[in-house]
Amino acid sequence: MRKTTSKTWALMAGATGIALLATACGGGDTEADAGEGSSTGGSGDEQITLTVATFNEFGYEELLDEYEELNPNITVEHKKAATSDEARDNLNTRLAAGSGLSDIEAVEVDWLSELMQYSDMFVDLSDPEVEDRWLEWKTAAATTEDGTLIGYGTDIGPEAVCYRSDLFAAAGLPTDREEVAALLEGDWDHYFEVGKQFVANSDAAWFDSAGATYQGMINQVENAYEEDDGTVIGIDHDTVKDIYGDVLTASVDDELSAHLLQWSDDWAAGFQSGAFATQLCPGWMLGVIEGNAAGVTGWDVADVFPGGGGNWGGSYLTVPAQSEHPEEAKALAAWLTAPEQQVKAFQSKGTFPSQVEALDSPELLGTTEEFFNNAPTGEILAKRAEAITATPFKGPNYFPIHTTVSDALTRVDVDQTDDAASSWEKALDAYESLGLS
Amino acid sequence: MTSIPMIQQTAGAGAARSAARRRGLARGANRRPGWVTYAVLGAVLLISAYPLYYAVLLASSDAITIAQNPIPSLLPEGNLFTNIGRVIASDIQFWPAMWNSIVVATVTAFSVVVFSTLAGFSFSKLRFRGRGPLLVFVIATMAVPTQLGIVPLFIVMAELDLTGKLAAVIIPGMVTAFGVFWMTQYLEEALPYELIEAARVDGCSMIRTFWHVAMPAARPAAAMLALFTFVGSWTNFFWPFIVLGAGNPTLPVALQLLQASYFKDYSLIMAGVVASTIPLVLVFIVAGRQLVTGIMQGAVKG
Amino acid sequence: MSVISPPKPRRAPEVPREPRRIAFRQRAGRWDVKLSPYLYISPFFLLFAVTGLFPLAYTAYVSVHDWHLIGGQGAFVGMQNFVDVVQQPRFLTALRNTFSIFLLSSVPQVLAAIGIAAVLDANLRARTFWRMGVLLPYVVAPVAVSLIFSKLFADQSGLINAVLATVDLGPIRWHADPLSSHVAIASMVNFRWTGYNTLIFLAAMQAVPRDLYEAAVIDGASRLRQFFSITVPMLRPTIIFIVITATIGGLQIFDEPRMFDQLGQGGSDRQWMTVTMYLYELGWGAQKSFGRAAAVAWILFLIIVVIGLINFAITRRISSSGSTRGGKR
Repeated sequence: MRKTTSKTWALMAGATGIALLATACGGGDTEADAGEGSSTGGSGDEQITLTVATFNEFGYEELLDEYEELNPNITVEHKKAATSDEARDNLNTRLAAGSGLSDIEAVEVDWLSELMQYSDMFVDLSDPEVEDRWLEWKTAAATTEDGTLIGYGTDIGPEAVCYRSDLFAAAGLPTDREEVAALLEGDWDHYFEVGKQFVANSDAAWFDSAGATYQGMINQVENAYEEDDGTVIGIDHDTVKDIYGDVLTASVDDELSAHLLQWSDDWAAGFQSGAFATQLCPGWMLGVIEGNAAGVTGWDVADVFPGGGGNWGGSYLTVPAQSEHPEEAKALAAWLTAPEQQVKAFQSKGTFPSQVEALDSPELLGTTEEFFNNAPTGEILAKRAEAITATPFKGPNYFPIHTTVSDALTRVDVDQTDDAASSWEKALDAYESLGLS
Repeated sequence: MTSIPMIQQTAGAGAARSAARRRGLARGANRRPGWVTYAVLGAVLLISAYPLYYAVLLASSDAITIAQNPIPSLLPEGNLFTNIGRVIASDIQFWPAMWNSIVVATVTAFSVVVFSTLAGFSFSKLRFRGRGPLLVFVIATMAVPTQLGIVPLFIVMAELDLTGKLAAVIIPGMVTAFGVFWMTQYLEEALPYELIEAARVDGCSMIRTFWHVAMPAARPAAAMLALFTFVGSWTNFFWPFIVLGAGNPTLPVALQLLQASYFKDYSLIMAGVVASTIPLVLVFIVAGRQLVTGIMQGAVKG
Repeated sequence: MSVISPPKPRRAPEVPREPRRIAFRQRAGRWDVKLSPYLYISPFFLLFAVTGLFPLAYTAYVSVHDWHLIGGQGAFVGMQNFVDVVQQPRFLTALRNTFSIFLLSSVPQVLAAIGIAAVLDANLRARTFWRMGVLLPYVVAPVAVSLIFSKLFADQSGLINAVLATVDLGPIRWHADPLSSHVAIASMVNFRWTGYNTLIFLAAMQAVPRDLYEAAVIDGASRLRQFFSITVPMLRPTIIFIVITATIGGLQIFDEPRMFDQLGQGGSDRQWMTVTMYLYELGWGAQKSFGRAAAVAWILFLIIVVIGLINFAITRRISSSGSTRGGKR
């Protein structure tokens, strides 16, 4: 459906020296008109192709087929990238070049923050019809100060605790998921205390890494690195320093960490060797554990999270302003992110829905996972989603700042090339060179 | 090339002569090497082959076995074809991607060879104003970091309305500084002036001289350049990924999608690696003989 | 048309060549002679104008502006981006890593390649088999090489440390220790490219007229002497070619270190972050400072040109001094 614009023709004609081409394509210099004319109509029988760019697992394959059946005049082309990093490279390159984006681009919450300041490059999706569809904090993160909504929420990552019941049993801890929930109920200090008790009676570590634990903790802080208006606070203040210190004390001094950098090959192998007993567990992590721990028995999931609720990850569907069919794209994005569809995506790939209504859906609440000892994962995650209270502010500088701390943690916990103090000095240097303050 | 028998005869004759000379040499100065040489080569080959063999080992296993045994068994297990079947059956558009890769690699290899030989002939054997500086310029273009060219190159492709089309991958690779430099350096040594002069005396135009004399002399280097270019464009990932995306992928772009699940199923991923490497190995075996004999004919000038 | 061309006299390079080039003035039109050279090199330059020159100029333009990758062009800042970048400690780290990996990969690679090529140049049984075998790693895509090697080099679960453990060695901290990580990355590069360079050398060696060796044998030169007095000088264009392409490729190294761990930022202390990775992090990472990234690209470009020229001079010197010796024989 792509139109060859007259501008292109002119360029080619110029290059080849065939001036005749200019007359061949008639229309004159109406490139802009042609582009917009075809898009704003939105109704009627015109055949339209929409492209949808996602990454990793969104669970949309069958849904898109269904949409084509419901809308015979629309063909959907699904462009998938393997990882969120690749999708981000792709999106950034195309935004920088000013063309080539899909009609719908999936954006992960981690890089949503860096796009918020360029909200004019995306279609405002706010619409009274869908106003109260999502959990309030989910929508808030994608809404600019002047009320522009740049993305419809797809999934969220409400965090629970996954644990190895067999390792718990061997160390004399309870194994039943309700009892474990009761055991771990409390703040992070309590979680570490139980951990010390565990490692005293086991060869395994308590958790995988300092970095993942810090992630869980800092995600409960409203303004870790930036104020709500985007003013940078930085890392050299007590909130961050305290969490940094606590995590490293627990990881290194109390030997609770398995010293495995999350997502590394060693980390994946750690699931097989039983290197650690608990894993902070957003909904999508269930699939990760099931894959990496294939053949291992004993994993279960408890309806609890240290320090209250927490969210990790989740995505949005955006419609870039470049799209030639913004209306149709918006309609498709709205349909895909409707509760019914997201529940289907959850059943297909385990992406936990961000829609209020979906949390009460019987299909969702009835979902169990065989691998996790038939745990009622739908019900547990729904409760974990309700427990989320703190919504951390993540401005455009959140991730560069966060990286300085997570690198520092890795140096001490995984690489063991620094101690907590010297690594912190390096973090301050790295923060300094960001040139933010 | 087949339409000009004269050339093949000349090249053939030259090769035959040089081969004969070499055979004579083998009897005299160049005796067959001893077992030490073979031992060294054996070790080199072992190191060269093991990582690929390791990929085959993983591809013939299954996810659980791989996860449980960091050190794979010495012999492949039986799942290789099952896993390759899974790759082909998955929704990554395996066959269209394979076809795209074949088109891109073939067209690129052919065009690089022709244009590079042409330019190499000119740079190495013809005299013209600005020859030195222009050659240095060609080489200098290689020093431009490619990562940064991505955005402007994407802009160019978008202007030409080529994003998502194979042409966007083919065009930037149609003639490379590497190829030009390579052919220049090769022809410099391998093409004697006497041959060119002879052709000119016989009244050949410049282009005929190129075709009749330079091309045959360049054959061994051209064969290698073709192979290198073919392999290079077959295995190229980043630019095709950016400009084509998963909508109209080449093989590496499609295979990357095998990693799109929640965890790395190495049996599947490595089956993808094996499936995409098999065609190259076939090209290798077919071209290998040609390539080696090509190298042997390298001494046309005798 | 004759191909009878007597073995080239050993000549001092360059000097007698010049008059020969002028000799191309036959009956064929003057235009043919004058224009053909330009015509033949034009495809490269035309294509370069579209796919190379514009990106280059664009990059230069970007590098003197405050330029956000997504936000686009900001104020003109002159050389400020260059100054900012050079003052960053991370830039120096990146330079150090790049040179370290470059030396660990290119030097052994070129030496091994020329050695293996010399062995393959002998009158071997099953020649095709050996030659193809050596080139085998080249068919494995870089992405696949990284996948395979990241499993081999995993600190705790990797094959190499597992094997070392059986003989009571290691474990080597492949990721934490800067030098070890450089060795690991260099070995990925060497794995894929040694065979490739070997074959290039081999092709060039085969083009050396055998008569030269015969003459040397008659003069009683040893194999080693033959190698240094005949092979190396005759390989000069090839050696220059390989050294320059290896320099350019080596200093631009990106894929292997980027895929050495799952984060792709070069380690927690940036212990294996190379200059191109730094460039990428500046431009595409969290800061999205396209202007600074462009500045790094230009600095890297200049570094490569300088190192390339130095290498060129050294290589030329080494191989031509060999040539003089050979000539004096």
